[in-house]
Amino acid sequence: MKQTKFLPFWLPLRLFVGLWCFLLFSACDSKKAVAPATAAFHTVTDDLGRKVKLPVQPRRVMALAPSMTEMLFAVADTATIVGRTQNCDFPKAVLTKPVVNNYPMDYEKLISLKPEVVFATEGIISMEVAAQVEKLGIPIYFQAYDSVADILRGLRNLGFLLHRPEKGNAVADSLQDRLNQLAADSAAGTRPRVLAITWKDPIYVFGRNTLLTDKLRFAGGQNAVTEVFAQPYPALTREYILKMNPEVIIGGSFEQMEKTFFSLYPELRRIKAYRQKRIFAVTDDLMSRPSPRVVEGIAELKAVLR
Amino acid sequence: MRKALPILLGLLVLLILGLFLGLKVGSLDTSYATVFEALFAYDAQNGTHYSILHLRLPRLLLAFLTGASLAFSGYLMQALVNNALADPYLLGTASGASLGASFSFVLLTDLTFMGLYLPPFFALVGSFAVTLVVVLLGSRRGQLVPSQMLLVGVALSSLLTALVSLIMFLSDSESQLKSVVFWSMGGFEKADWSNLGYPATALAAGLVLFFFLQRHLSVLLLGADRAETLGVDVRLIRWLMLGAISVVTGFAVAFSGPVGFVGLMVPHITRALLGTTNRFNLIACALAGGLFLVVCDLISRWIYPPAGMPVGIVTSFFGVPFFVYLLRRKNYRFS
Repeated sequence: MKQTKFLPFWLPLRLFVGLWCFLLFSACDSKKAVAPATAAFHTVTDDLGRKVKLPVQPRRVMALAPSMTEMLFAVADTATIVGRTQNCDFPKAVLTKPVVNNYPMDYEKLISLKPEVVFATEGIISMEVAAQVEKLGIPIYFQAYDSVADILRGLRNLGFLLHRPEKGNAVADSLQDRLNQLAADSAAGTRPRVLAITWKDPIYVFGRNTLLTDKLRFAGGQNAVTEVFAQPYPALTREYILKMNPEVIIGGSFEQMEKTFFSLYPELRRIKAYRQKRIFAVTDDLMSRPSPRVVEGIAELKAVLR
Repeated sequence: MRKALPILLGLLVLLILGLFLGLKVGSLDTSYATVFEALFAYDAQNGTHYSILHLRLPRLLLAFLTGASLAFSGYLMQALVNNALADPYLLGTASGASLGASFSFVLLTDLTFMGLYLPPFFALVGSFAVTLVVVLLGSRRGQLVPSQMLLVGVALSSLLTALVSLIMFLSDSESQLKSVVFWSMGGFEKADWSNLGYPATALAAGLVLFFFLQRHLSVLLLGADRAETLGVDVRLIRWLMLGAISVVTGFAVAFSGPVGFVGLMVPHITRALLGTTNRFNLIACALAGGLFLVVCDLISRWIYPPAGMPVGIVTSFFGVPFFVYLLRRKNYRFS
């Protein structure tokens, strides 16, 4: 490397611009934020066992999954939520936030929103994307849920991470109360075996190791799929379904399913659910999103099973 | 005949064994005795009997028909273009069917019409339309030019694959994307007695026709000019071959999706076993193709119960090593 005796001509210029920017931004900052200890960080471990270093009191946050956005809206100061993904549509207030595509991930848009931490759920955001987000200097925190209790725990955890523990606990406590009520009502009586269909051709269903199994327990039913498969949403054959002989089918109204499912697989008209016409539609988002609305989803399932 | 008989008999025995085993394997525990009962003393109230006769048997037969159709068409195609690399999809059948099916998934809001599931119908229309284009571009003054058809087929297939990709890219919902992907993997789970008739009729007609024309096929492998001097109406027989390939492949693909590799490999296996000019080649080829897919479907369900992994994965996994072994035997020659 060649050494220069003199300072390059652009150095004073750069120093000047830098100083000017510093003054400008610190002036803005002093007007806006009064939060103390803005530079305080702590290292926490997320649900996937990853070590994540994030601000103790993050002021700009966002989620990269619709369910996680719902979680944030329940716990965070909504003014601190800086964006949403193209699929985030609940609560309605989220629609005013700028959109970051999460598939394929729009990294540039994400950077432009300057989040101090982003939240993700297992399965929606791949580890590859997570690594890329981290490379951009944005910490990414994952939550994972195997049961309804895990979602409530997730809310308390968010309260802690967002420096709003009272809020997180209050939301989780009120959900727990409703959950206890629902569970007490459905304790008695037989539990119908429920098959929930996610895809019709080929037939894919909610497997044993999905949240639905736990939700059905609260709703007074049980998952008709008792075998644990490698995939959470396994593909099944007609014969397997005939063997299970589910008493309730979830996936669409009787008329819809008659047209789009049983006409494809007329052999399945032999199952109990069809003969007793116990075939129902439920709200898709309540079925698929592990969010604070999980209790609402359980209430809907319960209404259907009654 | 002396060489063919034991091989044909062997294939038939293996096929019966395969079908019988296939009837026994499923989610419901089944004994061989139950299989016999279901076949010969059917009880409509018995769930296992019902499964054997209405789920397992149609599924096995569809697998058999698909394998047999693809092998039959592959054999004809290799003779038609006189090229060892040819497979039944050279006419654009698979890509045309994919395009048709993709269209139905993306454009139709309702996939059933008066109880009829539309994607196979669209696939069929797509495959015939594309075949027609390939044939028009691959012929001159009513005369089929195999080398030109080969190139047109390959080029058009790439174009259609790009179109399917474009449709997938433009599809505005994940579910449409999923439908296209699932369709392209192929499978036999939707098999039903009501939809076995079409591929079965097409295949049977093709087999009977070309059983009597087998000698012409063998002569054609010597080249069009020599075949002509030996008294073969090359023009007519080429058109017949083309018609048979497009109809037989079209029906197979419409109901089962594009299952790969069978149509390329099984004809070679048949020739390796029976020689290039045996008059029972086509029948043996169809039997072997059917048997191969029946076994592959069984393996796929055994590896990944209950639904099985896409059968195309299994055909390549188990077929390729055997295929390579056969090709490397020193006495195998294509023509």
